[in-house]
Amino acid sequence: MPQQIKRLISVFAIFIALFLIMRQVLKPESFGELGHYRAKAIQENTMKELHYAGSDSCAKCHEDILKDKSLGFHKQLKCEVCHGPGLKHALFIDKVNTAQIPDSLVLYKPIQRKDCAICHQINAARIKIQFDTINTSMIHQINVLDHNLMDLDTKVEYKCIDCHNPHQP
Amino acid sequence: MEDHLQNLYEVLSKVEGYVYPNEIELNWSILIVLYPYITGLVAGAFILASLERIFKLRILKPTYGLALLTALAFMLVATMPLISHLGKPFRAYEIMITPHLSSAMAIFGFVYLWYLMVVLLLEIWFDYRRDMVIWANETKGFKRFLYKVLSLWTTDISPKAVALDNKLGYIVTVIGIPSAFLLHGYVGFIFGSIKANPWWSTVLMPVIFLFSAMVSGIALVMLIYILLTKIRKLSIDMACLDMIAKYLFYFLIIDFALEGLDQIHRIYEAEESFEALHKLVFGKLFFTLFFMQGLFGTILPLLTLGTFQFYKPKEQIRKRIYLVVASLILVGIFFMRWNVVIGGQLFSKSFYGYTSFKIGLIGAEGYLMASIWLIIPFIILAFLLWLLPPWKKIEVDHEI
Repeated sequence: MPQQIKRLISVFAIFIALFLIMRQVLKPESFGELGHYRAKAIQENTMKELHYAGSDSCAKCHEDILKDKSLGFHKQLKCEVCHGPGLKHALFIDKVNTAQIPDSLVLYKPIQRKDCAICHQINAARIKIQFDTINTSMIHQINVLDHNLMDLDTKVEYKCIDCHNPHQP
Repeated sequence: MEDHLQNLYEVLSKVEGYVYPNEIELNWSILIVLYPYITGLVAGAFILASLERIFKLRILKPTYGLALLTALAFMLVATMPLISHLGKPFRAYEIMITPHLSSAMAIFGFVYLWYLMVVLLLEIWFDYRRDMVIWANETKGFKRFLYKVLSLWTTDISPKAVALDNKLGYIVTVIGIPSAFLLHGYVGFIFGSIKANPWWSTVLMPVIFLFSAMVSGIALVMLIYILLTKIRKLSIDMACLDMIAKYLFYFLIIDFALEGLDQIHRIYEAEESFEALHKLVFGKLFFTLFFMQGLFGTILPLLTLGTFQFYKPKEQIRKRIYLVVASLILVGIFFMRWNVVIGGQLFSKSFYGYTSFKIGLIGAEGYLMASIWLIIPFIILAFLLWLLPPWKKIEVDHEI
Protein backbone atom coordinates (compact mmCIF):
# COMPACT_ATOMS: atom_id res chain seq x y z
CA MET A 1 0.00 0.00 0.00
CA PRO A 2 1.42 3.42 -0.89
CA GLN A 3 2.90 5.39 2.00
CA GLN A 4 0.48 8.31 1.85
CA ILE A 5 -2.57 6.03 1.89
CA LYS A 6 -1.30 4.22 4.97
CA ARG A 7 -0.77 7.50 6.80
CA LEU A 8 -4.15 8.85 5.79
CA ILE A 9 -5.94 5.70 6.88
CA SER A 10 -4.16 5.85 10.24
CA VAL A 11 -5.10 9.50 10.73
CA PHE A 12 -8.73 8.87 9.86
CA ALA A 13 -8.79 5.75 12.06
CA ILE A 14 -7.36 7.77 14.97
CA PHE A 15 -9.89 10.55 14.34
CA ILE A 16 -12.86 8.17 14.22
CA ALA A 17 -11.61 6.25 17.28
CA LEU A 18 -11.16 9.55 19.17
CA PHE A 19 -14.64 10.62 18.14
CA LEU A 20 -16.14 7.37 19.38
CA ILE A 21 -14.22 7.57 22.67
CA MET A 22 -15.20 11.23 23.14
CA ARG A 23 -18.77 10.26 22.39
CA GLN A 24 -18.74 7.70 25.15
CA VAL A 25 -17.08 10.10 27.57
CA LEU A 26 -19.21 13.12 26.76
CA LYS A 27 -22.55 11.38 26.30
CA PRO A 28 -24.65 12.37 29.29
CA GLU A 29 -25.22 9.63 31.82
CA SER A 30 -28.58 7.83 31.42
CA PHE A 31 -28.99 9.18 27.86
CA GLY A 32 -31.06 6.86 25.66
CA GLU A 33 -32.37 4.65 28.47
CA LEU A 34 -35.97 5.69 27.90
CA GLY A 35 -35.79 7.65 24.67
CA HIS A 36 -33.74 10.31 22.96
CA TYR A 37 -33.08 12.20 26.18
CA ARG A 38 -31.51 11.80 29.60
CA ALA A 39 -33.66 9.47 31.72
CA LYS A 40 -32.36 11.24 34.81
CA ALA A 41 -33.84 14.51 33.59
CA ILE A 42 -37.21 13.24 34.81
CA GLN A 43 -35.81 12.50 38.25
CA GLU A 44 -34.05 15.87 38.35
CA ASN A 45 -37.29 17.64 37.56
CA THR A 46 -39.17 15.85 40.31
CA MET A 47 -36.47 16.96 42.75
CA LYS A 48 -36.99 20.63 42.01
CA GLU A 49 -38.22 22.71 44.89
CA LEU A 50 -41.98 23.19 44.87
CA HIS A 51 -43.46 26.66 45.35
CA TYR A 52 -47.16 26.35 44.62
CA ALA A 53 -49.69 24.68 46.92
CA GLY A 54 -52.73 24.58 44.62
CA SER A 55 -56.26 25.89 45.21
CA ASP A 56 -57.31 22.84 47.19
CA SER A 57 -54.91 23.84 49.96
CA CYS A 58 -56.41 27.34 50.04
CA ALA A 59 -59.90 25.88 50.36
CA LYS A 60 -59.03 24.36 53.73
CA CYS A 61 -59.15 27.78 55.45
CA HIS A 62 -60.58 30.19 52.84
CA GLU A 63 -63.60 28.26 51.68
CA ASP A 64 -65.89 31.32 51.82
CA ILE A 65 -63.67 33.25 49.39
CA LEU A 66 -63.47 30.33 46.97
CA LYS A 67 -67.24 30.11 47.07
CA ASP A 68 -67.53 33.83 46.22
CA LYS A 69 -65.02 33.40 43.44
CA SER A 70 -66.81 30.44 41.90
CA LEU A 71 -69.75 32.70 41.08
CA GLY A 72 -67.82 35.42 39.25
CA PHE A 73 -65.72 36.02 36.15
CA HIS A 74 -62.59 34.99 38.03
CA LYS A 75 -63.88 31.51 38.75
CA GLN A 76 -61.30 29.90 36.46
CA LEU A 77 -58.43 31.85 37.98
CA LYS A 78 -56.33 30.01 40.55
CA CYS A 79 -55.65 31.82 43.85
CA GLU A 80 -51.87 31.78 43.44
CA VAL A 81 -52.04 33.56 40.08
CA CYS A 82 -52.76 36.82 41.94
CA HIS A 83 -51.47 36.07 45.43
CA GLY A 84 -48.23 34.38 44.46
CA PRO A 85 -46.84 30.96 45.38
CA GLY A 86 -48.24 29.77 48.70
CA LEU A 87 -46.72 26.40 49.51
CA LYS A 88 -44.73 27.66 52.52
CA HIS A 89 -47.81 29.50 53.73
CA ALA A 90 -49.94 26.34 53.48
CA LEU A 91 -47.31 24.04 55.01
CA PHE A 92 -46.90 26.38 57.97
CA ILE A 93 -50.60 26.17 58.69
CA ASP A 94 -50.56 22.39 58.28
CA LYS A 95 -47.65 21.98 60.69
CA VAL A 96 -48.23 24.65 63.29
CA ASN A 97 -51.97 24.71 63.05
CA THR A 98 -52.43 28.30 64.13
CA ALA A 99 -53.83 31.39 62.55
CA GLN A 100 -50.77 33.43 63.69
CA ILE A 101 -48.76 33.41 60.48
CA PRO A 102 -45.37 35.19 60.52
CA ASP A 103 -45.18 38.30 58.32
CA SER A 104 -42.74 36.64 55.92
CA LEU A 105 -45.30 33.99 55.05
CA VAL A 106 -48.26 36.31 54.55
CA LEU A 107 -49.21 36.18 50.88
CA TYR A 108 -49.28 39.21 48.59
CA LYS A 109 -52.52 41.16 48.35
CA PRO A 110 -52.78 42.70 44.90
CA ILE A 111 -54.71 45.84 45.71
CA GLN A 112 -52.99 48.41 43.47
CA ARG A 113 -54.19 49.54 40.03
CA LYS A 114 -51.02 48.10 38.47
CA ASP A 115 -51.91 44.62 39.74
CA CYS A 116 -55.17 44.53 37.79
CA ALA A 117 -53.45 46.13 34.78
CA ILE A 118 -51.28 43.05 34.33
CA CYS A 119 -54.27 41.33 32.75
CA HIS A 120 -56.78 44.07 32.14
CA GLN A 121 -54.75 46.85 30.51
CA ILE A 122 -55.92 47.20 26.92
CA ASN A 123 -53.51 45.47 24.54
CA ALA A 124 -53.98 44.57 20.89
CA ALA A 125 -52.24 41.24 21.40
CA ARG A 126 -54.85 40.03 23.88
CA ILE A 127 -58.06 38.17 23.14
CA LYS A 128 -60.42 40.47 21.31
CA ILE A 129 -63.62 41.61 22.99
CA GLN A 130 -66.81 41.17 21.10
CA PHE A 131 -69.18 44.11 21.04
CA ASP A 132 -71.37 44.27 24.15
CA THR A 133 -71.03 40.63 25.00
CA ILE A 134 -68.60 39.56 27.63
CA ASN A 135 -68.21 35.95 28.40
CA THR A 136 -65.85 34.35 30.88
CA SER A 137 -63.41 33.10 28.27
CA MET A 138 -62.43 36.68 27.47
CA ILE A 139 -60.35 39.06 29.48
CA HIS A 140 -62.11 42.36 29.95
CA GLN A 141 -59.85 45.19 28.83
CA ILE A 142 -59.81 48.81 29.93
CA ASN A 143 -57.32 51.63 29.77
CA VAL A 144 -55.99 51.72 33.32
CA LEU A 145 -54.49 55.18 32.78
CA ASP A 146 -57.90 56.57 31.94
CA HIS A 147 -60.61 54.50 33.57
CA ASN A 148 -61.96 56.25 36.72
CA LEU A 149 -58.47 57.40 37.59
CA MET A 150 -59.14 59.60 40.61
CA ASP A 151 -61.66 61.43 42.65
CA LEU A 152 -62.07 64.72 40.79
CA ASP A 153 -62.57 66.70 44.03
CA THR A 154 -59.92 65.22 46.31
CA LYS A 155 -57.50 64.12 43.51
CA VAL A 156 -56.98 60.84 45.35
CA GLU A 157 -56.29 57.92 43.02
CA TYR A 158 -58.99 55.28 42.99
CA LYS A 159 -58.07 51.68 43.38
CA CYS A 160 -59.84 49.15 41.19
CA ILE A 161 -60.99 47.29 44.28
CA ASP A 162 -62.82 50.40 45.51
CA CYS A 163 -65.56 49.49 43.03
CA HIS A 164 -64.81 45.89 42.01
CA ASN A 165 -64.60 42.95 44.38
CA PRO A 166 -61.57 41.09 43.02
CA HIS A 167 -63.02 37.76 43.98
CA GLN A 168 -66.28 38.52 42.23
CA PRO A 169 -65.70 41.45 39.89
CA MET B 1 -47.64 51.44 37.56
CA GLU B 2 -46.11 54.05 35.27
CA ASP B 3 -42.90 51.96 34.95
CA HIS B 4 -44.82 48.83 34.24
CA LEU B 5 -46.85 50.44 31.48
CA GLN B 6 -43.82 52.33 30.18
CA ASN B 7 -42.05 49.00 29.57
CA LEU B 8 -45.11 47.60 27.88
CA TYR B 9 -45.43 50.64 25.60
CA GLU B 10 -41.72 50.55 24.75
CA VAL B 11 -42.00 46.96 23.63
CA LEU B 12 -45.22 47.57 21.75
CA SER B 13 -43.80 50.65 19.99
CA LYS B 14 -41.67 48.22 17.93
CA VAL B 15 -44.80 46.56 16.72
CA GLU B 16 -47.28 47.50 14.02
CA GLY B 17 -50.66 45.84 14.08
CA TYR B 18 -51.09 42.46 15.73
CA VAL B 19 -48.18 40.13 16.38
CA TYR B 20 -47.91 37.09 18.62
CA PRO B 21 -45.93 37.73 21.82
CA ASN B 22 -43.01 35.55 20.71
CA GLU B 23 -42.66 37.50 17.47
CA ILE B 24 -41.83 40.89 19.00
CA GLU B 25 -38.12 40.13 19.39
CA LEU B 26 -36.17 38.59 16.51
CA ASN B 27 -34.49 35.45 17.75
CA TRP B 28 -32.33 34.98 14.66
CA SER B 29 -30.19 38.03 14.24
CA ILE B 30 -27.13 39.06 12.20
CA LEU B 31 -25.12 36.00 13.23
CA ILE B 32 -27.71 33.77 11.57
CA VAL B 33 -27.40 35.98 8.48
CA LEU B 34 -23.66 35.30 8.47
CA TYR B 35 -24.08 31.54 8.71
CA PRO B 36 -25.55 30.96 5.24
CA TYR B 37 -23.37 33.78 3.89
CA ILE B 38 -20.05 32.27 5.00
CA THR B 39 -21.13 28.70 4.15
CA GLY B 40 -22.10 29.96 0.70
CA LEU B 41 -18.70 31.55 0.17
CA VAL B 42 -17.10 28.17 0.93
CA ALA B 43 -19.29 26.27 -1.52
CA GLY B 44 -18.83 28.91 -4.24
CA ALA B 45 -15.05 29.05 -3.88
CA PHE B 46 -14.88 25.26 -4.05
CA ILE B 47 -17.02 25.13 -7.19
CA LEU B 48 -14.66 27.62 -8.84
CA ALA B 49 -11.72 25.36 -7.98
CA SER B 50 -13.51 22.33 -9.38
CA LEU B 51 -14.25 24.17 -12.64
CA GLU B 52 -10.51 24.07 -13.21
CA ARG B 53 -10.00 20.53 -12.04
CA ILE B 54 -13.05 18.61 -13.19
CA PHE B 55 -14.31 20.71 -16.06
CA LYS B 56 -10.78 21.19 -17.33
CA LEU B 57 -10.84 24.97 -17.56
CA ARG B 58 -7.05 25.23 -17.51
CA ILE B 59 -7.28 28.98 -17.95
CA LEU B 60 -8.46 29.21 -14.32
CA LYS B 61 -5.25 27.63 -13.05
CA PRO B 62 -3.97 30.81 -11.30
CA THR B 63 -6.97 30.80 -8.99
CA TYR B 64 -7.21 27.06 -8.31
CA GLY B 65 -5.07 26.93 -5.16
CA LEU B 66 -6.34 30.31 -3.98
CA ALA B 67 -9.96 29.17 -4.33
CA LEU B 68 -9.31 26.01 -2.32
CA LEU B 69 -7.52 27.87 0.48
CA THR B 70 -10.25 30.52 0.54
CA ALA B 71 -12.84 27.77 0.87
CA LEU B 72 -10.89 26.23 3.75
CA ALA B 73 -10.35 29.55 5.55
CA PHE B 74 -14.07 30.33 5.47
CA MET B 75 -15.07 26.74 6.20
CA LEU B 76 -13.14 26.79 9.47
CA VAL B 77 -15.22 29.76 10.61
CA ALA B 78 -18.56 28.73 9.06
CA THR B 79 -20.04 27.31 12.25
CA MET B 80 -18.71 30.03 14.54
CA PRO B 81 -21.59 32.51 14.01
CA LEU B 82 -23.99 29.70 14.92
CA ILE B 83 -22.04 28.70 17.98
CA SER B 84 -21.59 32.25 19.24
CA HIS B 85 -25.32 32.78 18.75
CA LEU B 86 -26.07 30.00 21.24
CA GLY B 87 -26.92 30.88 24.81
CA LYS B 88 -24.67 28.03 25.95
CA PRO B 89 -21.96 27.80 23.27
CA PHE B 90 -19.95 25.19 25.16
CA ARG B 91 -22.77 22.72 24.72
CA ALA B 92 -22.56 23.00 20.92
CA TYR B 93 -20.69 19.69 20.59
CA GLU B 94 -23.76 17.88 21.94
CA ILE B 95 -25.48 17.85 18.55
CA MET B 96 -22.61 15.67 17.37
CA ILE B 97 -22.61 13.46 20.45
CA THR B 98 -26.33 12.72 20.65
CA PRO B 99 -27.68 13.64 17.21
CA HIS B 100 -31.34 13.16 16.46
CA LEU B 101 -32.26 12.25 12.91
CA SER B 102 -35.28 14.53 12.98
CA SER B 103 -33.07 17.54 13.76
CA ALA B 104 -31.97 19.34 10.60
CA MET B 105 -29.30 21.20 12.56
CA ALA B 106 -27.80 18.02 14.06
CA ILE B 107 -27.41 16.49 10.63
CA PHE B 108 -25.79 19.70 9.42
CA GLY B 109 -23.00 18.98 11.92
CA PHE B 110 -22.21 15.79 10.01
CA VAL B 111 -22.65 17.36 6.57
CA TYR B 112 -20.18 20.04 7.68
CA LEU B 113 -17.72 17.49 9.06
CA TRP B 114 -17.92 15.40 5.89
CA TYR B 115 -17.25 18.41 3.71
CA LEU B 116 -14.36 19.67 5.86
CA MET B 117 -12.63 16.35 6.48
CA VAL B 118 -13.35 14.26 3.44
CA VAL B 119 -13.53 16.94 0.77
CA LEU B 120 -11.62 20.12 1.52
CA LEU B 121 -8.80 18.91 3.72
CA LEU B 122 -8.23 15.79 1.64
CA GLU B 123 -8.20 17.64 -1.65
CA ILE B 124 -5.80 20.27 -0.34
CA TRP B 125 -3.65 17.56 1.22
CA PHE B 126 -3.35 15.57 -1.99
CA ASP B 127 -2.70 18.74 -3.91
CA TYR B 128 0.04 20.00 -1.60
CA ARG B 129 1.59 16.80 -0.30
CA ARG B 130 4.55 16.75 -2.66
CA ASP B 131 5.21 20.45 -2.13
CA MET B 132 5.01 20.07 1.64
CA VAL B 133 7.59 17.28 1.50
CA ILE B 134 9.88 19.47 -0.59
CA TRP B 135 9.30 22.56 1.57
CA ALA B 136 10.00 20.51 4.70
CA ASN B 137 13.46 19.81 3.32
CA GLU B 138 14.05 23.40 2.27
CA THR B 139 12.94 25.16 5.46
CA LYS B 140 14.15 25.07 9.05
CA GLY B 141 12.77 25.30 12.55
CA PHE B 142 9.08 25.48 13.29
CA LYS B 143 7.98 25.82 9.69
CA ARG B 144 9.84 22.64 8.80
CA PHE B 145 8.16 20.84 11.69
CA LEU B 146 4.79 22.16 10.57
CA TYR B 147 5.29 20.87 7.02
CA LYS B 148 6.38 17.49 8.36
CA VAL B 149 3.28 17.20 10.54
CA LEU B 150 0.99 18.41 7.77
CA SER B 151 2.44 15.97 5.26
CA LEU B 152 1.97 13.25 7.93
CA TRP B 153 5.72 12.52 7.79
CA THR B 154 5.40 11.13 4.27
CA THR B 155 8.54 11.29 2.14
CA ASP B 156 7.62 9.55 -1.09
CA ILE B 157 7.57 12.07 -3.93
CA SER B 158 8.35 9.70 -6.75
CA PRO B 159 6.42 10.36 -9.97
CA LYS B 160 4.30 7.31 -9.21
CA ALA B 161 3.32 8.62 -5.77
CA VAL B 162 2.59 12.08 -7.16
CA ALA B 163 0.46 10.56 -9.91
CA LEU B 164 -1.48 8.69 -7.24
CA ASP B 165 -1.96 11.94 -5.28
CA ASN B 166 -3.25 13.55 -8.43
CA LYS B 167 -5.65 10.73 -9.18
CA LEU B 168 -7.01 10.57 -5.64
CA GLY B 169 -7.30 14.37 -5.55
CA TYR B 170 -9.38 14.15 -8.69
CA ILE B 171 -11.68 11.54 -7.13
CA VAL B 172 -12.07 13.68 -4.03
CA THR B 173 -13.01 16.67 -6.21
CA VAL B 174 -15.58 14.57 -8.03
CA ILE B 175 -17.08 13.61 -4.67
CA GLY B 176 -16.59 17.23 -3.60
CA ILE B 177 -18.96 18.76 -6.14
CA PRO B 178 -22.10 16.96 -4.94
CA SER B 179 -20.82 17.52 -1.40
CA ALA B 180 -20.54 21.27 -1.98
CA PHE B 181 -24.05 21.19 -3.43
CA LEU B 182 -25.18 19.22 -0.41
CA LEU B 183 -23.51 21.59 2.04
CA HIS B 184 -25.10 24.72 0.76
CA GLY B 185 -28.28 23.12 -0.50
CA TYR B 186 -28.64 21.89 3.04
CA VAL B 187 -28.45 25.41 4.46
CA GLY B 188 -31.22 26.37 2.06
CA PHE B 189 -33.13 23.26 3.08
CA ILE B 190 -33.02 24.31 6.75
CA PHE B 191 -34.82 27.54 5.84
CA GLY B 192 -36.96 26.11 3.05
CA SER B 193 -38.35 23.38 5.26
CA ILE B 194 -39.82 25.73 7.85
CA LYS B 195 -43.36 25.34 6.63
CA ALA B 196 -44.88 27.81 9.09
CA ASN B 197 -43.02 30.65 7.41
CA PRO B 198 -44.31 31.49 3.93
CA TRP B 199 -41.27 33.72 3.21
CA TRP B 200 -38.97 30.71 3.63
CA SER B 201 -41.05 27.68 2.86
CA THR B 202 -40.37 26.99 -0.82
CA VAL B 203 -38.78 23.99 -2.46
CA LEU B 204 -36.72 26.39 -4.55
CA MET B 205 -34.89 27.61 -1.45
CA PRO B 206 -32.02 25.04 -1.53
CA VAL B 207 -31.43 25.71 -5.24
CA ILE B 208 -31.56 29.48 -4.79
CA PHE B 209 -29.13 29.26 -1.88
CA LEU B 210 -26.86 27.05 -3.93
CA PHE B 211 -26.62 29.36 -6.91
CA SER B 212 -26.30 32.48 -4.81
CA ALA B 213 -23.52 30.62 -2.98
CA MET B 214 -21.69 29.96 -6.22
CA VAL B 215 -22.08 33.59 -7.23
CA SER B 216 -20.77 34.91 -3.92
CA GLY B 217 -17.89 32.41 -3.69
CA ILE B 218 -16.69 33.12 -7.21
CA ALA B 219 -16.95 36.87 -6.59
CA LEU B 220 -14.94 36.48 -3.39
CA VAL B 221 -12.11 34.57 -5.08
CA MET B 222 -12.13 37.12 -7.90
CA LEU B 223 -11.83 39.97 -5.41
CA ILE B 224 -9.06 38.27 -3.43
CA TYR B 225 -7.21 37.38 -6.64
CA ILE B 226 -7.25 41.00 -7.85
CA LEU B 227 -6.19 42.37 -4.46
CA LEU B 228 -3.53 39.71 -3.95
CA THR B 229 -1.81 40.35 -7.28
CA LYS B 230 -1.90 44.06 -6.46
CA ILE B 231 -0.34 43.44 -3.02
CA ARG B 232 2.28 41.11 -4.51
CA LYS B 233 2.89 43.68 -7.27
CA LEU B 234 2.41 41.13 -10.02
CA SER B 235 0.64 41.50 -13.31
CA ILE B 236 -2.76 39.90 -13.30
CA ASP B 237 -3.71 37.09 -15.66
CA MET B 238 -6.50 38.86 -17.55
CA ALA B 239 -7.56 35.76 -19.49
CA CYS B 240 -8.18 34.00 -16.19
CA LEU B 241 -9.99 36.98 -14.74
CA ASP B 242 -12.19 37.29 -17.85
CA MET B 243 -13.05 33.61 -17.61
CA ILE B 244 -13.99 33.94 -13.92
CA ALA B 245 -16.13 36.94 -14.85
CA LYS B 246 -17.79 34.90 -17.58
CA TYR B 247 -18.74 32.12 -15.18
CA LEU B 248 -19.79 34.68 -12.60
CA PHE B 249 -22.10 36.12 -15.25
CA TYR B 250 -23.58 32.71 -16.10
CA PHE B 251 -24.21 31.78 -12.47
CA LEU B 252 -25.60 35.23 -11.76
CA ILE B 253 -28.12 34.81 -14.60
CA ILE B 254 -29.25 31.46 -13.19
CA ASP B 255 -29.42 32.88 -9.66
CA PHE B 256 -31.39 35.90 -10.82
CA ALA B 257 -33.74 33.73 -12.87
CA LEU B 258 -34.37 31.37 -9.95
CA GLU B 259 -35.05 34.16 -7.50
CA GLY B 260 -37.26 35.86 -10.04
CA LEU B 261 -39.11 32.60 -10.59
CA ASP B 262 -39.62 32.20 -6.86
CA GLN B 263 -41.13 35.69 -6.59
CA ILE B 264 -43.26 35.36 -9.73
CA HIS B 265 -44.57 32.06 -8.43
CA ARG B 266 -45.38 33.68 -5.11
CA ILE B 267 -47.13 36.61 -6.80
CA TYR B 268 -49.15 34.39 -9.14
CA GLU B 269 -50.16 31.94 -6.41
CA ALA B 270 -51.10 34.85 -4.12
CA GLU B 271 -51.73 32.64 -1.13
CA GLU B 272 -53.27 33.98 2.06
CA SER B 273 -49.85 35.20 3.18
CA PHE B 274 -49.40 37.29 0.05
CA GLU B 275 -50.84 40.57 1.36
CA ALA B 276 -48.58 40.44 4.40
CA LEU B 277 -45.50 39.63 2.30
CA HIS B 278 -46.38 42.32 -0.23
CA LYS B 279 -46.41 44.92 2.51
CA LEU B 280 -43.18 43.54 3.93
CA VAL B 281 -41.37 43.74 0.61
CA PHE B 282 -42.55 47.28 -0.13
CA GLY B 283 -42.13 48.37 3.48
CA LYS B 284 -39.45 47.12 5.81
CA LEU B 285 -37.46 45.25 3.16
CA PHE B 286 -37.76 47.85 0.42
CA PHE B 287 -34.25 49.26 0.69
CA THR B 288 -32.37 46.01 1.36
CA LEU B 289 -34.30 44.02 -1.25
CA PHE B 290 -34.75 46.40 -4.16
CA PHE B 291 -31.62 48.49 -3.79
CA MET B 292 -28.94 46.49 -1.98
CA GLN B 293 -29.82 43.03 -3.28
CA GLY B 294 -31.64 43.84 -6.50
CA LEU B 295 -30.10 46.93 -8.04
CA PHE B 296 -26.55 46.99 -6.62
CA GLY B 297 -26.09 43.28 -5.97
CA THR B 298 -27.70 41.85 -9.11
CA ILE B 299 -28.82 44.21 -11.89
CA LEU B 300 -25.70 46.40 -12.05
CA PRO B 301 -23.25 43.45 -11.97
CA LEU B 302 -25.42 41.60 -14.52
CA LEU B 303 -25.45 44.55 -16.92
CA THR B 304 -21.72 45.18 -16.50
CA LEU B 305 -20.64 41.56 -16.88
CA GLY B 306 -23.13 41.10 -19.72
CA THR B 307 -21.70 44.09 -21.58
CA PHE B 308 -18.19 42.70 -21.15
CA GLN B 309 -19.18 39.56 -23.00
CA PHE B 310 -19.23 41.48 -26.29
CA TYR B 311 -17.42 44.72 -25.51
CA LYS B 312 -14.22 44.66 -23.52
CA PRO B 313 -12.69 47.96 -22.37
CA LYS B 314 -8.97 48.30 -21.65
CA GLU B 315 -7.42 45.91 -19.14
CA GLN B 316 -6.83 48.52 -16.44
CA ILE B 317 -10.43 49.71 -16.58
CA ARG B 318 -11.76 46.18 -16.79
CA LYS B 319 -9.75 45.12 -13.74
CA ARG B 320 -11.11 47.99 -11.68
CA ILE B 321 -14.64 47.33 -12.81
CA TYR B 322 -14.25 43.65 -11.92
CA LEU B 323 -13.13 44.73 -8.46
CA VAL B 324 -16.21 46.91 -8.03
CA VAL B 325 -18.54 44.26 -9.49
CA ALA B 326 -17.16 41.53 -7.20
CA SER B 327 -17.60 43.82 -4.17
CA LEU B 328 -21.14 44.72 -5.23
CA ILE B 329 -22.05 41.06 -5.65
CA LEU B 330 -20.62 40.21 -2.23
CA VAL B 331 -22.66 42.99 -0.64
CA GLY B 332 -25.72 41.98 -2.68
CA ILE B 333 -25.56 38.33 -1.60
CA PHE B 334 -25.06 39.41 2.01
CA PHE B 335 -28.30 41.36 1.75
CA MET B 336 -29.98 38.41 0.05
CA ARG B 337 -29.22 36.37 3.21
CA TRP B 338 -30.33 39.35 5.30
CA ASN B 339 -33.64 39.61 3.45
CA VAL B 340 -34.29 35.91 3.90
CA VAL B 341 -33.28 35.57 7.56
CA ILE B 342 -34.39 38.94 8.94
CA GLY B 343 -37.29 39.41 6.49
CA GLY B 344 -38.77 36.07 7.49
CA GLN B 345 -39.08 37.23 11.09
CA LEU B 346 -40.37 40.76 10.55
CA PHE B 347 -43.96 39.81 9.82
CA SER B 348 -46.37 38.06 12.14
CA LYS B 349 -47.44 34.54 11.24
CA SER B 350 -50.95 35.80 11.95
CA PHE B 351 -50.36 38.02 8.84
CA TYR B 352 -51.84 40.94 10.79
CA GLY B 353 -48.74 42.80 11.89
CA TYR B 354 -45.04 43.51 11.77
CA THR B 355 -42.24 43.90 14.24
CA SER B 356 -38.99 45.79 13.70
CA PHE B 357 -35.33 44.96 14.00
CA LYS B 358 -32.61 47.15 15.37
CA ILE B 359 -29.05 45.97 15.60
CA GLY B 360 -26.52 47.35 18.07
CA LEU B 361 -22.79 47.89 17.71
CA ILE B 362 -21.67 45.85 20.67
CA GLY B 363 -23.04 42.77 22.37
CA ALA B 364 -23.15 39.13 21.40
CA GLU B 365 -25.36 39.86 18.39
CA GLY B 366 -23.97 43.24 17.37
CA TYR B 367 -22.10 44.58 14.35
CA LEU B 368 -18.74 44.15 16.08
CA MET B 369 -19.25 40.46 16.74
CA ALA B 370 -20.43 39.94 13.17
CA SER B 371 -17.44 41.79 11.73
CA ILE B 372 -15.09 39.67 13.84
CA TRP B 373 -16.47 36.51 12.21
CA LEU B 374 -16.07 38.13 8.80
CA ILE B 375 -12.49 39.28 9.40
CA ILE B 376 -11.13 36.09 10.99
CA PRO B 377 -11.41 34.03 7.75
CA PHE B 378 -9.18 36.59 6.01
CA ILE B 379 -6.60 36.26 8.78
CA ILE B 380 -6.76 32.47 8.44
CA LEU B 381 -6.43 32.84 4.68
CA ALA B 382 -3.36 35.06 5.10
CA PHE B 383 -1.83 32.38 7.31
CA LEU B 384 -2.70 29.62 4.83
CA LEU B 385 -1.22 31.63 1.96
CA TRP B 386 1.98 32.07 4.00
CA LEU B 387 2.11 28.39 4.83
CA LEU B 388 0.92 26.94 1.52
CA PRO B 389 1.57 29.60 -1.13
CA PRO B 390 -0.07 28.39 -4.36
CA TRP B 391 2.41 30.44 -6.41
CA LYS B 392 5.35 28.48 -5.01
CA LYS B 393 3.86 25.14 -5.90
CA ILE B 394 5.42 23.02 -8.55
CA GLU B 395 3.03 23.13 -11.43
CA VAL B 396 1.15 19.91 -11.79
CA ASP B 397 -0.98 19.34 -14.79
CA HIS B 398 -4.28 18.08 -13.50
CA GLU B 399 -4.76 15.99 -16.62
CA ILE B 400 -5.07 12.39 -15.61
